[in-house]
Amino acid sequence: MSQQKLYLKADDLSKRYEDGVLALDHLNLEVRAGEVYCLLGANGAGKTTTINLFLNFIPPTTGTCFINGIDVTRDPLEAKKYVAFVSENVMLYGNFTARQNLDFFAKLGGKTGLAKEAYYQVMRRVSLQEKAFEQRVKTFSKGMRQKLGISIAIIKDALAILLDEPTAGLDPKAAEEFLEILTELKAEGKAILMSTHDIFRAKEIGDRVGIMKEGRLVLERTREELQYEDLVKIYIDYMKSEPLTA
Amino acid sequence: MFKTIVRKEILENISSYRFPLFAVICLTLVPLSLYVNHADYGKRLRDYGEQMRLADEAGSSMTMRDLMAGSVAMKGFRRPALLSVFSQGLESAMPRFYEFTQDGVKPGESSSGDESVLSVQGKVDFVFLVQMVLSLIGLLYASDMISGEKETGTLRAMLSNRLPRDTILSGKIAGGYLALWLPFVFSFLLGAFLLLPGSFPFFSGDTPARIVAILLATSLFLLIYYILGMAVSTSSAKSRTSAMAILLVWAFFQLIAPKLSGMIASVIYPVRTETAVSLEKSLLAKSVDTETAKELGRQYDFIFGAGRQGTADDEKTPERKKWDSVRSDIEQSARDRKAREVGRIDETYRQEKRRQQTLAVNISLLSPSAAFARLIADVCGTGEVERTKYGEAVLAYQKALDSELFSKVKRTIMIHPSGGTTMGFMTLPVDFKKLPKFSMTPSSLAEAFKANGNSLVSLVFWLVAPFAVAYVRFLKYDVR
Repeated sequence: MSQQKLYLKADDLSKRYEDGVLALDHLNLEVRAGEVYCLLGANGAGKTTTINLFLNFIPPTTGTCFINGIDVTRDPLEAKKYVAFVSENVMLYGNFTARQNLDFFAKLGGKTGLAKEAYYQVMRRVSLQEKAFEQRVKTFSKGMRQKLGISIAIIKDALAILLDEPTAGLDPKAAEEFLEILTELKAEGKAILMSTHDIFRAKEIGDRVGIMKEGRLVLERTREELQYEDLVKIYIDYMKSEPLTA
Repeated sequence: MFKTIVRKEILENISSYRFPLFAVICLTLVPLSLYVNHADYGKRLRDYGEQMRLADEAGSSMTMRDLMAGSVAMKGFRRPALLSVFSQGLESAMPRFYEFTQDGVKPGESSSGDESVLSVQGKVDFVFLVQMVLSLIGLLYASDMISGEKETGTLRAMLSNRLPRDTILSGKIAGGYLALWLPFVFSFLLGAFLLLPGSFPFFSGDTPARIVAILLATSLFLLIYYILGMAVSTSSAKSRTSAMAILLVWAFFQLIAPKLSGMIASVIYPVRTETAVSLEKSLLAKSVDTETAKELGRQYDFIFGAGRQGTADDEKTPERKKWDSVRSDIEQSARDRKAREVGRIDETYRQEKRRQQTLAVNISLLSPSAAFARLIADVCGTGEVERTKYGEAVLAYQKALDSELFSKVKRTIMIHPSGGTTMGFMTLPVDFKKLPKFSMTPSSLAEAFKANGNSLVSLVFWLVAPFAVAYVRFLKYDVR
């Protein structure tokens, strides 16, 4: 794995908000091409803050985020060329059809001049029903929205994909389908950083799993290591343990 | 990228419930207001024609006897402004005519006298609709442009791409505004089309240029309110907060600032009432007349000897020649004094009034709405420029009538030192058919723009300032 190109890197990354809360404390992590990195942690552990820092939605207090080697704070627009983002509640325009949403975000991702069929192909790939292609998104279920969200990431064809709790609220079948798509993307060489509460799916798909607590990455395990350890027990033990001291 | 955002904004607006709602409001109210106000204009024009005819008839039957009896009253009518169809402005507040008599000028009734009690709410014309309805819709349209997208999370989705924030902002302004502007322009054109069967003279004089100016100024005004809404939207994280803030902004600019300006100005520069000034002038005139009459009586008695009234009838005597010369000097001096003193009172009053009005106008220009209403009223020939020109035309006609008509009858009143009073008349021939007619040149478009430099500055300020606020705030906007 270490020979693969490094697409996502957090280097000594910290974030302290204006109200004094330390959301992220000297985080170091790397995600390489063809790798899925799952960040586990309770609410407020710093998972979403990490993703927000990678997307330059907030500036870091210290440290640096790199996407494909580009410093996100220094050149955010160039860095965003190489990253796609899917959130828990996929953000779409309800009055647009699935294809119109896909078309809009594809253009923002720099993919212009695509034919209707190209959009349909991507939507077929994520198993979105044909009849939904030209339906308004406001009628979609959460699972359908997630599929469309990942279509947007696919059509952008970015090197790295950031996923913020993408399977939260999905029924088991939809979640399984979603993970299948992620497996395909991983096989294509995408670097995937996924924050999640779902320990079982993290273990299933993650090449590495990191557990965060109070802004710190307190534990990191590879897929191989997890074959001999009980991730659920480790996670619950960490959650129950005493608060970390500063 | 910019085009993509613009297209998306248009599509999003068109596919929302707001677009058909706004389109229906525009397509109903704008043409209806133009149609109704055109019918009203037609009625006022017919009244004007009829009153002119009656005044001509009355003028042709005037005699010297009427003049000597002091019962001659000439009338100067103002033709209703064609573009009052768009903006009533001061149209209904201006007198339909002025009446000119030997005693001076007095304003006739205004057309607002005919209106029902409902008119106290303000007349619904095109400008009213733009100010009160379209501006609010423009603000509400823009209110959730940023905060709404933050709530739905689409702003994060957009910004996760290689997309500069200023492109998003300018694209949203351009696209959202176009979605607002298109129904408005269509309704404006439809309204104009509906005026055609009523033989509205679209192509007479500078009417086309004025209509284009109205369209451009209204488009600018809507853009201002749209960007104001955008500035509010970039200043709040929730669309509900934006909507509340927007209602406050709208109420301040539409209802409070314009009305408050007059009140503040009248507190800072209090001005006497017109009645008080009129009373001061008439007291002065009376005092000058009495002094003149006493001086004439004294001189008469000095020349002809006290108690010998009637001696002046013989025009050939040296006393009579001397008396004519002395009387002429005294009367001329009295006229000059009266004109000077009355002129001074008038000028002082005008200055006080102008100072108060300038202050009120300048304060009101804090509101883009007041600036817009002022500009459009002047463009339509129903504003302050027109009122000033009307006033100038009245003064000019008054002077012309004084020289051609009223000065042809001279009444001489003498109060003798003994206490007795004598009155004499002297008349000069008048050709009633050649009397000057009242005329006024309507204010031009150039005059309207020249007088509205500060309104234009206010509009440009309200375009630039909210844009700058929206720009700066959006660059730092927390999209999480």
